[in-house]
Amino acid sequence: MTTELFTQEFETNRPQLKSYLLRITASIADTEDIVQDTYIKALEKLSTFRGESSLKTWLFAIASNLAKDNLRAQKRWVENVTDITKQAALSNQQFFQEAMHIRATSPQGQFEVKEHIAFCFTCISKSLPLEQQLCIFLKEVYDFKVSEITTILNTTEAMVKYYLHTGRSKMISVFDGRCALINKEGVCHQCSELNGIFNPKQNTQQEIMKIEIAREAESGNKEHLFDLRMKILKELDPFQSKAAELQLHHLEHNRQVMEKY
Amino acid sequence: MAAAAQSGKATTVKTTFSRETSVSIDIKADAAIVWALLTKAQDYPRWNSTVTSIEGNIALGGKIKLKSVLDAKRTFKLTVKEFVPEKRLVWGDGQGNRVYTISKNENGTVTFTMTEKIGGLMFPMYASMIPSFDQSFEQFARDLKGEAETIMNSK
Repeated sequence: MTTELFTQEFETNRPQLKSYLLRITASIADTEDIVQDTYIKALEKLSTFRGESSLKTWLFAIASNLAKDNLRAQKRWVENVTDITKQAALSNQQFFQEAMHIRATSPQGQFEVKEHIAFCFTCISKSLPLEQQLCIFLKEVYDFKVSEITTILNTTEAMVKYYLHTGRSKMISVFDGRCALINKEGVCHQCSELNGIFNPKQNTQQEIMKIEIAREAESGNKEHLFDLRMKILKELDPFQSKAAELQLHHLEHNRQVMEKY
Repeated sequence: MAAAAQSGKATTVKTTFSRETSVSIDIKADAAIVWALLTKAQDYPRWNSTVTSIEGNIALGGKIKLKSVLDAKRTFKLTVKEFVPEKRLVWGDGQGNRVYTISKNENGTVTFTMTEKIGGLMFPMYASMIPSFDQSFEQFARDLKGEAETIMNSK
């Protein structure tokens, strides 16, 4: 493969690599660095690429290895991260002033409940052990097969299945206990609350019911509801969406809070 | 010669100064999955209906605090005494040891065995106060088999 062709292929994969790394590190700066390092490392090793896996799998393997060495990726958060960061935000006037400014001026400053659901998953997934978090994103969001994930993470099929099963079970349990979108007793209403702040003219309940996961909550099928949550993540690029700047600002805030926690 | 299939029925052997309960069960799953389930302390209550909680790190020399359904009010303070990945795990206290072994079979299954021996010179004085482990052991083995095979068969 020529350098030109490789660079072209890399650019095709760049958006997915970026969103994957953001969801793992929760840091825009570290994401940019790891994407750049992935490009450099892949280019250096291009002569060793034999096409035994797809180029996308190979690039994700390099990026995952770099991410595993990244301190912000290694840092584990807690299940109730949104409670902790909410308290911090409420006592931080600057955070809301900046957010309202982004909302008023940025073309990527809209608030959408769906975007916040994806953001929320990113934050809570950092309470999983790193291997489980990586496997969940690779399989459920970036559509890699179990056999491809074994290549990316250099582990066995049995362990990938273990990480996927336990990670998925844990996330289903956390959201079932916390998320008011799917459980009337859920303690977290943050997406509704923020919609009320950023979109005061909207009827929040109507906005919520536009989302499939909320409409289907009554079914009580936890596996299906988790799949619908994953579908939201799949459809969103956290760097390109209409809410990107607002949500990235919020993510940076949460990371800074959790780094001190 | 192939080993006899293990059904998950517990057996107990009693002597004056000890009691040993054992259960074996065949599991159609990779030894790595069985080992991972046995050694991730915080995950136990999710799949194991005989364990209420385990705190601590299941690693060689690690101290753990185990709460069991069998004696809900009591916290067992245990030390991990042997830790051979995918083969053997032993934890215990002054009264006895719990030994877990995983052996790979030719047909791709593994046989999981769990044994606990309690006893000592004072054992006859309190033996009648310790409930039978048989039912709990059988449930533990069934839960482990169910969870490991579910993971193994996942896509």
